[in-house]
Amino acid sequence: MVLVLLLIAFFSAISGKPLDGLLMLLVAGGLAWDAQVRSRHPVPGPADREPPGQPAREAGPVSRRGIRLLLAAAAVVAGGGYAVIVGSFSRFSWPATVAVASLGTLIVLVGWQEPRRPGPDYGPLPVRGTAAWGAVLVAGGAWELWSLFQQPALEITSYAHPTVSALTDPVLASQPGRALVLGAWLLLGWYLVRR
Amino acid sequence: MNSHDVTITGYVLILLAAVGLQLAATRARSPVPPLGAVLSRIMRTRTGRVGMLVAWAWLGLHFFAK
Repeated sequence: MVLVLLLIAFFSAISGKPLDGLLMLLVAGGLAWDAQVRSRHPVPGPADREPPGQPAREAGPVSRRGIRLLLAAAAVVAGGGYAVIVGSFSRFSWPATVAVASLGTLIVLVGWQEPRRPGPDYGPLPVRGTAAWGAVLVAGGAWELWSLFQQPALEITSYAHPTVSALTDPVLASQPGRALVLGAWLLLGWYLVRR
Repeated sequence: MNSHDVTITGYVLILLAAVGLQLAATRARSPVPPLGAVLSRIMRTRTGRVGMLVAWAWLGLHFFAK
């Protein structure tokens, strides 16, 4: 994982995206440091850290459901507001950069902590089916990389060999398009945080 | 068919393969796990979780940030 992040950092930096590269570099360094610390001082699993006895006090089913609905509504409003406001900023401007980098960093830091609740356990995954997913993801990355290297220069897009970024440029040229894509990005982040 | 069409066809085929795998995963006793299960498995470790979230953050930075 660290090696993959370092490769992404390198390619991002030489493609004229130093901030992307810096984030990848920081996370790669953090993960390497974390792995080294954990290998020296193994951390007990979540079950070992739970204090014995004293079950948590449970709220009534109605109030818990009400709180969940309220939180979900607040998240939808906040996410929608974020998408509309940040979507009104020009791409690659400082306001857009600060807004996206702040949220991205915050979510990565949240992910660094142990999750409060374990995610769904699907048991052992079938090897061949999982490998098929891996093959599709690698093929997607390889096709994008091939298109990138077919460009006249890494920072100049090519009509003959468009990257995904080049294909999305027309959508992201308008404010509604940017808001829509930001909304989808937030939904994906929400989905991942809840895994 | 020019280079542009070949490149687009490649993206479409990869997308269709992903959709096909996800559809195959919905069948009973399918040998293909759903993408959500694969992501959950990856995110059970800190390295996997941080890796997935940083990939997500990278997408936002790539499309919107300087």
